[in-house]
Amino acid sequence: MAEQRVILNVNGRNYDISIEPEMTLVEVLRDKLDLTGTKISCGEGECGACTVLMDGKPCLSCCTLAIQAQGKSIVTIEGLAEKGQLHPLQKSFIDHGAIQCGYCTPGMILTSKALLDENPNPTPEDVKTALAGNLCRCTGYVKIVDAVMAAADEIKK
Amino acid sequence: MARPLKSFEYFEPSTIDEATRLLSTYQPTVKVIAAGVDLIPRMRSRKIQPQYLVSMMNIPGLTNIENDEESLRFGSMTTLMSLERLLKDDKTYPALYEAIHQLSSTQVKNTATLVGNLCVATPASDMSSALCALGAKLKISGISTERTVPIKDFYLGVGQTVLQPDEIITEVIVPRPSANSGNAFLNLLRVKCDVAKVNVGVSLVLANDRCKEVRIVLGAVAPIIVRAKQAEEKLLKANSFDKKAIEEAAQTAAMEVTPITDLRSTAEYRKEMVKVLVKQALEKAWSRAK
Repeated sequence: MAEQRVILNVNGRNYDISIEPEMTLVEVLRDKLDLTGTKISCGEGECGACTVLMDGKPCLSCCTLAIQAQGKSIVTIEGLAEKGQLHPLQKSFIDHGAIQCGYCTPGMILTSKALLDENPNPTPEDVKTALAGNLCRCTGYVKIVDAVMAAADEIKK
Repeated sequence: MARPLKSFEYFEPSTIDEATRLLSTYQPTVKVIAAGVDLIPRMRSRKIQPQYLVSMMNIPGLTNIENDEESLRFGSMTTLMSLERLLKDDKTYPALYEAIHQLSSTQVKNTATLVGNLCVATPASDMSSALCALGAKLKISGISTERTVPIKDFYLGVGQTVLQPDEIITEVIVPRPSANSGNAFLNLLRVKCDVAKVNVGVSLVLANDRCKEVRIVLGAVAPIIVRAKQAEEKLLKANSFDKKAIEEAAQTAAMEVTPITDLRSTAEYRKEMVKVLVKQALEKAWSRAK
């Protein structure tokens, strides 16, 4: 099918690109914009590895057509560090060993960021509820919840 | 692994009229796309292969929500999350809140629309049972038609609805429950986010210790949602609405349904669980009506 011109706002920058309408957002991020931090895993909306923020809310980039993401402000894991400094969540995940294979981590961190933006004082239960759509097969989740709780404290400082 | 989607032509109409015309022109190889959370995985697995997609995204007004003394009305592009947030502290439509709250993940609910869920027409749709118990209606637009269909009449079978090829749902209308009424939703899942083995939505109106009106709607026990009519009848005829009446209604509901055995549950277990869930849901609705 013919390519169509779209403008996507990703990590604060406008990208003017030509894509086929059947391209999902994650495919465009990875293959057109070289932002490979966002992962593709199940392709069915079950695992959360492809999570990105659209207008601040965690969404599934593998179940979203890129063409339908126009006009939205998209944030990927590449957009979190500022001036070479890791976001407190990224640092906390490293410090707490909340990363093993790392495949779920970008999604975990972005969903956690949306939670903390909205609720700076979450309980561990709030964190678990927020992360219900992000699956991890390595860590057993305990360290992830610890990392988010610690990052919440760090951000408040 | 996630296969790429097959190619299709994509339209983004800016009016309902334009959308219905596109649907009519390109049938039967056209599909409506809302957020795509259900559609895209099905296209990926090649279960469906539409050659044309008509997006509802740019039609103004379809995300409007109005909640007043008469009813709760929301456009067909309203996301599950915006409804969940709206209803969180609302005591009027707990059945709908409960159905949405337990459903799927934050990511899905942030973009997925309630109407999209209805249109998938799975027999286990939690939204359908809750909305049917509340007596909801759907506003549907076609090329030169406009009609309102009660949700109980919306389904024809698994994956099948009364929607004509050119028709789309534009709005959901949920009448405001009257005084002395209560409603509730419950379901049974293997694990969180799974599809329900059984779900039930109930609403009732009480008057002088008797049950004046009641709807008991069951999902995942037949190809479409069903009302437990005999159980409802029992409650309406009971001299007083009490624990005994609820118990009897629950047993009747279990007897009158004819579920199947599939990978999620056996027919026998489903019947047994209908009894449990109907009882609990009625008790919950009762406590809210008091």
